[in-house]
Amino acid sequence: MLNSVLVVARKEVIDSLRDTRSLTSSLMYALMGPAVVFMVSLASAAASRMDAVLIGMMSVFTLVAAFVGGMSVAMDTVAGERERQSLLPLLMNPVRRREIVWGKWLAVSLFAVAGLILNLAGFALVFARSGMHLPWPAVAAGILPLAFLAASIQLLISTVCRAAKEAQTYLSMLVFLPMGLGLFQVFFPVSAHAWFAFLPVLGQQLQLEYWMKGGSAAFVPAAALGCCTAVLALLVLEVAANRLHRDEIVYGN
Amino acid sequence: MIQVQDLVKSLDSRPVVRGLSFTARDGAITGLLGANGAGKTTTLRMICGVLQPESGSVTIEPGGAGALLDHMGIYPRLTVRENLAYFGMLRGMPPAVLAERIDHVLATLGLQAVAHRRTAGFSQGERMKTALGRAILHAPKNLLLDEPTNGLDVPTVRSLRDLLRRWRDAGACVLFSSHVLEEVGTLCDQVVIVEHGRVAAQGSPAELCRQTNSASLEDAFVKLTCTGDPAIC
Repeated sequence: MLNSVLVVARKEVIDSLRDTRSLTSSLMYALMGPAVVFMVSLASAAASRMDAVLIGMMSVFTLVAAFVGGMSVAMDTVAGERERQSLLPLLMNPVRRREIVWGKWLAVSLFAVAGLILNLAGFALVFARSGMHLPWPAVAAGILPLAFLAASIQLLISTVCRAAKEAQTYLSMLVFLPMGLGLFQVFFPVSAHAWFAFLPVLGQQLQLEYWMKGGSAAFVPAAALGCCTAVLALLVLEVAANRLHRDEIVYGN
Repeated sequence: MIQVQDLVKSLDSRPVVRGLSFTARDGAITGLLGANGAGKTTTLRMICGVLQPESGSVTIEPGGAGALLDHMGIYPRLTVRENLAYFGMLRGMPPAVLAERIDHVLATLGLQAVAHRRTAGFSQGERMKTALGRAILHAPKNLLLDEPTNGLDVPTVRSLRDLLRRWRDAGACVLFSSHVLEEVGTLCDQVVIVEHGRVAAQGSPAELCRQTNSASLEDAFVKLTCTGDPAIC
């Protein structure tokens, strides 16, 4: 079981790493946030402090980074595979379809996590100039699972779509989810509701802002948020795996 | 041996296969012949297990099955070897056996020269051979091919036919679908004519001709599948 999952994941990682064009665009996407915030911070350097707007921007960019790191891999790995007519031969192997989905998810997650880490590292550099440091253990527990959730949702969308181009349209729209929620929260702070801290996407946004504003980095709430996010990721992944059992996956092209 | 019993399958509540039964013997090439939309592809997909029949059963004698369906996509960013290795690993083949089998398959199909090239930009024939190599990697005793010669040039078609004959002579059960009558006539020991998801007739090409008093398999096919359309019958 684990073996086939790893075989699929390994192949998808190697395959995606060779897709240098998609890789380049994902890389630029991940570093766009730190670059923009850095430039804005230069403009407001006279104030010598990170103001709320900058922190809000940073957190939105970070949420987005979790959703763009694995985007091209997700669209290529199911919808693209279906379009190139290699999905059917793949499904003929004596491997459960759930294992195939898990393998692909692992690969997408890896790229999503890489995008997120790259983005956070970029911000860490920018913020180090003003003497601020990211609480890495809490980041790992609370923020990184967002990449797993993003990978699950993206895979689900990819199994619904029939071609990579169609998947690209919807996956690009999906990026507006963290962007919209994040911006909403920047302009209409709703942190009064305590349970928001456990909601995926919104919770991550709140935590990032809280840390950036100098709040203490408690590990336990971050880990709780991470767990909620990971559970949701697994549920969505299960839906994606079930979709692969439908006849229309085999038909229609 | 592949045995198919009363297969039924609908697509969007439209019946495609309605009670189809036949047996493909070992040491014989069985041709599944039918017009476009007769249900050949759906039947082969059910035999391979990618589609579940609504009722009926498929029995494949031990020795495993390999299939080259109409979807023969390969991975363009992987080399021929990597394409084969991926499927071999998914079948759980141990690395040493896998390497040996890949060498054997590459030699059989004449792919050694391009073995380490990525498959992007391959010709139709090279792509088909790579996909076929993937299907026969585990040395299956039963081989299914869905219109394998579509879009191939003459030399490739000939080498494919030679391969199928060699496998048959080695005792394999080869089942392939086609709508090219001439091909079925020259290659198949046994023909199963499919019409509207049912078996309209079966037998050797010569038997079918005798049965319908026809000079050619084409005439026999038309007589057997004639649905009352005066333009054809």
